[in-house]
Amino acid sequence: MVDALAAVLAETVGQRAGGWDLSGEIPEDALRALGTRGVLCAAVPAEFGGQGLSALANGELTAHAGVLCGSTRSVMTSQGMAAWTVQRFGDDKQRVDLLGRLTGGELAAVCFSETQAGSDLSAIGTRIVEEDGEIVVDGRKVWATAAAYADLLLVMGVHGAGAAVAAVPASARGVTVEKIPGPLGCRAAGHSNIRLDSVRLPKDSLLVGSRLPMAMLGTIALTYGRLSVAWGCVGMLRACLAAGTRHVRDREQFGRPLADHQLVARHIADLYTLERTATHACERAAESWDRQAPNLASDAVLAKYVAAGNAAEGAARAVQVMASAAAEDGHVVARAYRDAKLMELIEGTSEICQLILARRALEDVP
Amino acid sequence: MSNTDYAGTLTEEAARAALTDFLELRTKHVWEPATDLFESGAVTSIFAMELVVHVEQTFGVTIEGDELTMENFRTIDAMVAMVFRLKAGARRG
Repeated sequence: MVDALAAVLAETVGQRAGGWDLSGEIPEDALRALGTRGVLCAAVPAEFGGQGLSALANGELTAHAGVLCGSTRSVMTSQGMAAWTVQRFGDDKQRVDLLGRLTGGELAAVCFSETQAGSDLSAIGTRIVEEDGEIVVDGRKVWATAAAYADLLLVMGVHGAGAAVAAVPASARGVTVEKIPGPLGCRAAGHSNIRLDSVRLPKDSLLVGSRLPMAMLGTIALTYGRLSVAWGCVGMLRACLAAGTRHVRDREQFGRPLADHQLVARHIADLYTLERTATHACERAAESWDRQAPNLASDAVLAKYVAAGNAAEGAARAVQVMASAAAEDGHVVARAYRDAKLMELIEGTSEICQLILARRALEDVP
Repeated sequence: MSNTDYAGTLTEEAARAALTDFLELRTKHVWEPATDLFESGAVTSIFAMELVVHVEQTFGVTIEGDELTMENFRTIDAMVAMVFRLKAGARRG
C-alpha cells in the first residue's frame, strides 16, 4: 500500500520539484491528482474514503514526499492535519461529509496563527459567534500552509469561554486569501494570509467536538502536524544524505575521492547519524500513536524537535560538503537548507518544544 | 492496562481508582474525586491530550463529538460519569 502510494508521489512530482520551488507554485492538477489518489491524507480510515494507513506507514509515505519535494510534503501535512482535526472533533455527519471531500480531491488548510498569536494561541483574536441559527466568523489568520490551494479552511477561533474550529469554504463570502509572495522555504506550499470578514455559515460548519480550551484544541490538532513535519524532515535528511554521499564518492580532489578526506567523511558520518536518529524518534512516536499510548503527544513533540533540528543541521552539512554543486535555488539540497529552517518554526518552534519537553521531564521526577 | 481488564465488570469505584492512579503517577499530586484538575494548573495541554487517550484506551470508549468537552475531564468524578454514559450508549447502540 505504501509502495503504491509512494509510486503515485514519484510519478506526480517527478523531476519537477526544483521548478516548483523556483516558480513558487505547484500545478493545481498535480495536487488534486495526489488528493484523489489518496496520498495527501492517507491515514483517514477506509470507511471515510481514506487509505487507512497506520501512523508508521503514513510517516514513511510522508518521508517519501519529503525526499521529493518539501512543498508537496507541506501540503500533505496540512491536508492530513485538517483530516485528523475533522476525524477527532467532528460528529458522524461532519466526518462523512468533510472527510469524503478531503479524500475526493478537495484541498484543505488549517488556520491557527495570527499576527499576535503564534506560540501563544491563547491570544487568538478570531471570533466564532452563533447568531440567528448560523455561525459568524471574524478574524485575520497568517501563514496558513496550503491555504492558497485550499477549498476548505479549518479556522480556529474564540468561541464562548473557550475555542472551536469552523470549517469555512474558501469560496464563502467574506473570505480573502492572500498568498505570501516569497516564503523562506517550502516556497510552493501556498502559505497565505487570510481575512475573514463576517463570514456567515450554517451552524453545522462548527466542528461539534471542537469546543474546548484553546490550548487543548491546539495540542490535539497539532500533534498530527508535529508528527507529519517530523517525518517530512526525515525525508529532507534522506535526500541530503543521498546527494551528499553520491557527491563525495564520485568527486575527486587532491587525487582521491572526497570521501577519503577525513574532514569530509566526518560530515557524512554526522549526516548519517542525523538521519538515523530522526528516523528512530519518528518511528517511536508513530508507534505510540498506533498503540494509542498516552505519551503519544509528548513523543510527537520529541520527534518534531529532534527531526527539525537534525534536518537544519544535516542540510547545512550537505551544502558544506557539496559546495557549488548544491548552492543553487531549486537544487534538492538547497531546498532542504531553506525548508528545514522553517520546520524549526512551525507546529511549535524548537523553543516551545523545549518548554514542553522540560515540563515533561520535570513531571517524571519522583 | 487494556479495556479487557474491565470487560463487563467495571464498577465506578474501579474506574475512579484507575483514573486516580494514572493522575497521581503522572502529576505527582494527590487527587480527590471532585477536585478541579484544570484549575490546579497541574494539567498541561499535552497532559490533557494524554488524559483523553488514556481514558479511551483504559475503558475501551471513544470520546468524540459532544462528549469531548472540558467539563467531562474537569474532575475524576466527571470522567467516571462520562465513561459510564459512553459504555451505556455503546450497549444500546
